[in-house]
This record gives sequence, C-alpha cells and structure tokens, in this order.
Amino acid sequence: MELPLAFNAQLFIQLLVNGITLGSLYGLIALGYSMVYGILKLLNFAHGDVYMFGAFAGYGALSLLGGPLSPNIAIAPLIVLMFLAGMVVSGLLGVVVERFAYRPLRDAPRIAPLISALGVSFFLQNSALLLFGAQFRTYNSFVLGSKNAEFFEPGPLTDPVFVVKDVNIQLVQLLVVATTVSLMVALTLLVAKTQIGKAMRATSYDREAAAMMGIDTDRVIASTFFIGSVLAGAAGVMFGLLFSQVFHFMGFLAGLKGFTAAVVGGIGSIPGAMLGGLLVGLAESFAAGYLGGRWADLTVFGILILVLLVRPTGLLGTRAIQKV
Amino acid sequence: MEPAGDTPRVGVDDWVASHEARLDQRGGFAGLARKIDDRVPAWARLAVFAGFAATLPLWMGRGDLFVYGIFTLIYILLGLGLNVVVGYAGLLDLGYVAFFGFGAYFYALLSSEQYGIHWPSAISFPVVVASTALLGLVLGIPSRRLLGDYLAIVTLFFGQAFVVFVNAANPKVAGTGLTGGPNGIADIDPNDLFGYELTTRTQQFYFLLFVVVAVLAGLHFLNESRTGRAWRALREDPLAAQAMSIPVNRLKLMAFAFGAGIAGLAGCIFAAVLTAVTSGNFALPILITIYAIMILGGIGSLTGVVIGAIVINVSFQFLAPENPQNNARVLFYAVVMLLLVLGVRPWWRLGVVLGGVAVLGFAANAVVEAISPSWTAGAVVEAGRLGFISDWVIVPAGHDRFANAAYITLVVAVLTLTRVRGWWRTGLLIPTVYLSAIVWETSFVEQPAVARWILFGALLVFLMTVRPQGLLGTPRVEIV
Amino acid sequence: MTPLFEFKGVTKSFGGLTVADRLDFHVDEGEIVSLIGPNGAGKTTAFNLATGIYRPDSGEILFDGENVVGLQPHKITQLGIARTFQTLRLFLNMTVKENVMAAAYGHTRSTVVEAIFRLPRARREEREISQLAEEKLAFFGQRLAGYRHQQQAYNLSYANRRRLEIARAMATNPRLLLLDEPAAGMNPAETHELTELIGRLRTDGGYTVLVIEHDMHVVEGISDRVIALDHGVKIAEGSFEQVATNELVIEAYLGLQGAA
Repeated sequence: MELPLAFNAQLFIQLLVNGITLGSLYGLIALGYSMVYGILKLLNFAHGDVYMFGAFAGYGALSLLGGPLSPNIAIAPLIVLMFLAGMVVSGLLGVVVERFAYRPLRDAPRIAPLISALGVSFFLQNSALLLFGAQFRTYNSFVLGSKNAEFFEPGPLTDPVFVVKDVNIQLVQLLVVATTVSLMVALTLLVAKTQIGKAMRATSYDREAAAMMGIDTDRVIASTFFIGSVLAGAAGVMFGLLFSQVFHFMGFLAGLKGFTAAVVGGIGSIPGAMLGGLLVGLAESFAAGYLGGRWADLTVFGILILVLLVRPTGLLGTRAIQKV
Repeated sequence: MEPAGDTPRVGVDDWVASHEARLDQRGGFAGLARKIDDRVPAWARLAVFAGFAATLPLWMGRGDLFVYGIFTLIYILLGLGLNVVVGYAGLLDLGYVAFFGFGAYFYALLSSEQYGIHWPSAISFPVVVASTALLGLVLGIPSRRLLGDYLAIVTLFFGQAFVVFVNAANPKVAGTGLTGGPNGIADIDPNDLFGYELTTRTQQFYFLLFVVVAVLAGLHFLNESRTGRAWRALREDPLAAQAMSIPVNRLKLMAFAFGAGIAGLAGCIFAAVLTAVTSGNFALPILITIYAIMILGGIGSLTGVVIGAIVINVSFQFLAPENPQNNARVLFYAVVMLLLVLGVRPWWRLGVVLGGVAVLGFAANAVVEAISPSWTAGAVVEAGRLGFISDWVIVPAGHDRFANAAYITLVVAVLTLTRVRGWWRTGLLIPTVYLSAIVWETSFVEQPAVARWILFGALLVFLMTVRPQGLLGTPRVEIV
Repeated sequence: MTPLFEFKGVTKSFGGLTVADRLDFHVDEGEIVSLIGPNGAGKTTAFNLATGIYRPDSGEILFDGENVVGLQPHKITQLGIARTFQTLRLFLNMTVKENVMAAAYGHTRSTVVEAIFRLPRARREEREISQLAEEKLAFFGQRLAGYRHQQQAYNLSYANRRRLEIARAMATNPRLLLLDEPAAGMNPAETHELTELIGRLRTDGGYTVLVIEHDMHVVEGISDRVIALDHGVKIAEGSFEQVATNELVIEAYLGLQGAA
C-alpha cells in the first residue's frame, strides 16, 4: 500500500512547514504580549491592531514604490523597505498608545488598563476601517518581483528553495522563519547583555525599586512597547507576504492566537513566547489539515485551556512565590 | 500634643472623620450623582426607575420601544449579572457574553422549529437558567487555580470558543446542524406567561421590566446579606477572607453561577424578542459593551448599571445606521456642547471657545470657498434644519483623502490637548472642536456604524484615564 | 489535660530552605503564650502552617485533639483558630464595621435564597452579626467607636488598623487567637495599651492567645510562657526570665559574642 503512505508523509510535511511558518508569525506577536505583560502586568489587547497597522504600512510602502504589479525597485530592497515601514509605524504606534492610554493608569486598579486596552483596540480597528475602507488590500506576493506580473507569472517569493518529499519550501516561508529567528536572537541578546535589557528586567521585577535605583522607568516601559510593537509590525508585513491580503480585522484573530501563544508558553517569558508560537502554529496547521478548517480555531483554544488547567503559569512560565 | 491656637487640626480625629464628606463636595456632576445615590433610599430609586419605564409604551412608537426600551432592559439585566461576578466577587470574566449566548441558543433549541420542540416558557425558562448557571459553575471550577489575569484569559477564550463553535463548528446533531452555523436559529417562539403569549412589543416590554425590577430587588438584598459581604471580602483579599472563615472557592463558584444564570435569563427573553439568534449577537463587542455599561456606572453599583445601560444603549441606537442622520447629528453636537460646558470653566472662557469655533468655521469656509470652490462643494448629508452648517464646515466634493487627513489631524489634536494646559489648551480647543465637526460631516455621518465604535473605543479610554471608578463608584484603594 | 493547640513534629521546607524542623510545642486553654525569635526564625510560618495556608511536609497539628493538617483555611477558622497578619490584610474598601461583620460568615447559616426573600432567619442573623460586630469593636473603647464604624478601613490610622485586625479575628468566635506582631510599628503609649488589651482578651474575652512579638516589654508583660524559635527549631521554652537568660536565645539574637 505505497500510495496512501506517500500521501500521508507529504501532507504531514506540508502541514509541518505551514505550521512552523505560521508559528514564527505568532511567536513574534506573542513576544510583544509577553514583554509588555512582564513589565506592566498588562494584557495589551491593542497589540493585534498594532500588528494590523504594520501590515498596512508595509502595503503603503509598497504602493508608494510603484505598487505590487509594477514596483520601481528590485524585490530585495523593496521587501527590506516594506519591513522597515511596517516596523517603524507599528513601533511608533505602540509607543503612542502606551503614552496616552496606559501610562495614566499605572497606579489604577487592574481592570482599568485592561478596559482601556480594549477601547484602544476598538478605536484602532475601526479607525483603520474608516481610513482604509473595508476593501482588502493585497500584497500580490505571488507575482511580486516578477518580470511579467500582469501575466500572472510567479515572482521569486514562491520559488521553492528546498524540496522535501515533494513538498516545496518556498522562499517566502524561509524568509519568514529566518527573519523571525534573527529578530528573536537579537532580542535575547538585547535583554541579556545590554544596559537597557537589564533595566527592563529590573523594572519587571519591581517597578518602584527600579525607579529608586535611578532607572527611568517611563523610558524603559516605552522602549519595551516600542520593541514589542516593532516585532508585531514585522509580523504584519510577513503576513502580507505569506498570505497577500491585509484587512482591518486581521489583528483580531492573529492577536488572539498570538496571545494564546504567549500564555501557553508562559507569559513574561521570551523563549516561552516563541515556543508557544510554534505550538499554536503547528496546532492550527495540523488541525486545519486533519480535522478541517472549522475545527482549527477551536483546537487552538482548547489547547490553551488545557495547558492553563494543567500548568497555570504556562509551559515555561515561572510560578511567583508570594510571601504571606 | 494638641497644637496651639488656630493651626489646622490635621490628623486630629474628627478632621479625619469628615474626610468622606469633603471628598463628596468635589466632583461636580459626578458628585451630584453620588449624593443622589447615597441620600435617596434604594426602594425610592427603584420606584422612580420602574415608574418612568412603565410609561414608555404610552408615548414611544413600537420601533423605538424595541431599540430604546427593550434593548436597554436587556443590557441592564446583563450588566447586573456581570456586576455579580466582577463587581461583587471581583472575578474578571471576559467570556460572560457566552452565557448570554448559551441561554439564547438553548432557549431557541427548546422553542423553535429547529428540532420541532416547543416547550412552554414555564418549563424552558427554569431549564435554561439552571443549565446556564451550571455552565457558569463548571467554568468557575478552574478559577480556583487561576488568579486574576489567567482567569481573564481562560474566560476570554471560552467566550471566543463559544462563538467559533456556534458559527463554524455547528456539529450535526439528530440530522441538523445544532446551532445553525452562520445563519443561526430562526423562528423562535415568543415567551409565554403560562399560555399567554407575549407577541407585541408592549407585552414583551412589561414582562422584561418586571423581570428587571425583580432581579434588581433580589440583588440589592443579596448585596446587603452575609453573602454579599463575603463576596466583597473575597474581592478585597481572598487570602484574608479565607482566614476569616469565608469559604472563598465556594463563593467564587456561586458568583459565577449567579451571574451566568442571570445571563441565561436574559438570553431566553432576548431570543424570543428577536425571534432569531446568530453568533454575531454574542461576540466580543457585545461583551465590551456590557463591561462599558458596568464601568461607566461604577463597578459594584446597581444604580450605576441602570444608568450606564441607559446612557450607552441610547447613544448607540442614536448612532445606528438605520436612524435618520439628523438624530445622530443632533446628538453629536449636543454631546460636544455638553463636554465643553462641563469641561471649560469659567463661563467666559467657555464663551471664548464657542465664539471662536463659530467664527473660525465661517471664516475658514469663506476663505476656502474663495480660493477653491470645489473644496466646499460637497453636500452635508441630510442637514434638514441645520442647513446652515454647510456654510460653516468644509466639505469638499469627493473628499476621501481630505476626510482621512482631517481625521488623523483630529486624533493628533485631541492627544495634544491632553498634554497642554491653561490658555494653550483653550486656544487649541477651538480648532479641535471645529475639526471634529468637519470629521463628523465628512466621514462619521457617512459611516455611522464605524463612527460609533470609534467613539465607543475612545470613550472607554477616556473613561479609564479620567474616572476609572465610573459615575457612581468610589475610588478604590488597592494594594498591588 | 490535652492542650488546646499542639504542634507535633511539624516539618516544612521550601526547596532547600527548611522553615520548620520537627517543631514541637503546645498551648493550653486559657494561656497567653509568646512566640519569639529573630527574623526568619519561622514564627509566621508556624502561623501559616497552623491556619492551613501552608501544608506541613510531615507532622501533626492538633486543635482540641483533632488533626487539622490538610483542612482548608476557612474550615480551620471555623473550628476555632483565628489570626491576624504581620503585614495587615484588612478589607480596605469596606467600612470598619463591615470588616468585622464579614468575619462572622463562618458561624452563620442563612442561605442566598433566604437573603433574597428576606426570610426571618436571614433578618435575625443580620441583627445578630451587627450586634456581634459592635461588641467586638467596643473592646477597644473609644478607639473604634461611634462614627468610626462607618469609616472606610483605608482611612484608619496605623494603630487603629492593627486594632481592627484583632477585632475582625475576634468576630469569627475563635477559641484560639494567633496574633502576629500586634505591636509592630506602635509608639510606647499604644504598645502599653496593647499589652493591657491582650490581657483583657483572656479575662474578658475568654480567648487563648498565642502571640508573635519582638518587643520584649510586651512579651514580659503578657506571657504565661515563652517559646523561642530559631531557624525553624524550638531552642527554648519556659517563663520569660528563663528564656530571656537562655544562652541559645541570646546567641540567636545577638550572636556568639553577645552570649559570651
């Protein structure tokens, strides 16, 4: 019975590749959630919408440079510029949101920043709808960079780089994973080795004490938001490159899943966010493949609830010991 | 030692004792609301509310009664239920709307053509409410191990899972999709009072009013009882509450069950009134609306929930796409005026702002028209009696880019307003108000559904940063 | 006569840190016993073990002969052990009187249904709880009287907060009161008042009291017996004079030099 086995392996590997790619995306989003929670104990519901604006910013850059069907520059610098646009816009948006919606609530009861975050999320989502309309924008990544885009000749993004058991691993997928890995390495180095990383860790342990030790906590928190949002912006552009379409509502589901990833991995933990992202991506991919698209989202939620019941602080999270 | 002479007696006992009284003096409008809440006894407030509500069917049209009367009452009920979980017991349940949905769908399954079951309300109501309460209990069980934020997360996902399940999963049970997928369940039977069917809006309204009044009374008594005190103690400090003989876990479960039961009750009535249910009725925006209602009024306050529901639902419906634009416009300008009147002191400064805005408008309009007529050629949508507005705001023909630019400028202006003080603020207020009118006329009026969510989101942020305890709440002291 | 309260071989570790090491002590009914020792000796831990917040790794904790290990904290309180907290854990956003009334939950029985429909038992218990609260608050004389009842707990001065904690613990109708550093942060006048109060807790209130204290004047003034702990181990027991002059105790507080 050769054929079914071959089919199985191919499907499996395809789903695996999809899952890893998707997981990288979710991991980047999860990092933003984790970092902000670690430092402020705040669940930043607006994070998904910052990601969405990053995707739109990437599209904006693409349009300014000639649009997906006839770009003015070569594809490599084009993609770099798109990333930069997405990351910068998201980063700045994140900082502005923190400054106006969260900073005044530093000492308010816990529910206040939560509701404020939800308010920001509504505001951003619907502002995007107002500004950009309900129409989907597309990166046209299939034909991006090709010489005959109008004739639907595929561009380099979908070129297979490896082939494993008849499964194409496309350039764009490799690009996404490689970028994610490098960003994550950069982040880990930043947190572990630099002064600001140390300041971030100190502020997350005890904000008041950090302030008393001369750390400018406002700046540290703003930097945390900036970095987390930059990563989300990168993820937004990646989504556009992978799936072509950007729309005002994309932040909601992606944000939710990124959030799941952060919690599953252990919110506040950076390696946990990546691990969680991978898990969620793989779960969604395999569930969609084997159970059908209808059950994909439910599976992800189910995993979250299961993990939290068994290990309330997430897989790599630390249990804070409270002195009574 | 006693300070000599006329020095301030800071720290001396009765100065401390009158602290509360001094706090109450401040706060203008909110202070007035609190005074009413404190001085007027509960039964009187309930009577005023019920009395006023009872007159509604006498002067409201059927359509208005539906959106302004019935919907407000449903929201009050939901707010009351959430208040038990969040306000009394301090548990952050972000999936609360799923109980509402569960109640509605279950009632629909028991009283519609979906499976041909048509149970009378006298049976379906208790069954649905009890089942929803049980579901709340089940969801509450993991809450023992989950603290604060984690509970919020799990409940949030439960709420999302419910929507996805009902919408996409829709498993086949006994031949038909259980929940009807994206189409939901239609042709739902009306509620009936032991055989007497409630088919007209007036009948449904009075029934719902009765239910709301009963729940208000019941919750009031519950709050004053040992259970209410135990819930509040649990909310303050679960560890200390346990040390003081309070069975914290049992009370958490009770709160979940109670809140869920009330939501289930609301679901039964909602499904019958709407005669159809879809997943969209129970999604995140509805949850946030319920939270907004509870927070606006002040968490933990029954009166607050009622007021919050009235304010929010009425404003929402005013801005509904189906509503003639004129209503919404009137509301918009009225609210802007109200904010200015409340926020700008003293009177003469307010006059400067209003005068400045008027002058700026007409002047800008005239100048722009002179330079480039197409810039003011756009029509003001359904201006009606306020037609002079077209001479005041700038509405270019074909104004997408302009509208976007105006919107972004407005956001920047508002954010800047929060950072400046004194005359800078007053000065900046003038162009900001004018800009808001422009934004209203060029984009909001054309997309009222989007506009109301934008304003809603902004309201939430504003509310939290300015007055997190809501209208009738007291500022809480929390040890973080 | 069986002791009212007894620790038998109680051991507890957190990771590598042993906070209680085969701890053995007892308190007889009607006694006032003081628990002393340097910081980190395991005194508050002993309280946490006694009230069910921590579970001992081994050993028994007997209250009136019954082992209470493994019981939920609220159950232990309902059996008759109440405590105050070293770091004060009042219900800050509730009034003074409500704080005390809340603690009466454990020995009342009216249900939610009775409360909603205002049935007789619920109304009667409300009156009783209200009276009980006023009684317990009256223990402190004018300090927590009259207008104070309606004050929010966060408005109270530090000393009054400490008193309220004790009043609240009393409202659970316990037989044994565990007071964790009740005099911490008080000035000499307040400390003196407190010393008298603890004595009255026994004579007027009928409670058995176990007190953690650092202030030796208080310890001297109230104790029938003193127990000294260090690093989770009981190092001395006896009258105040005996324990105060004990070499191990002096060494624990002042180091070897001090003992010399």
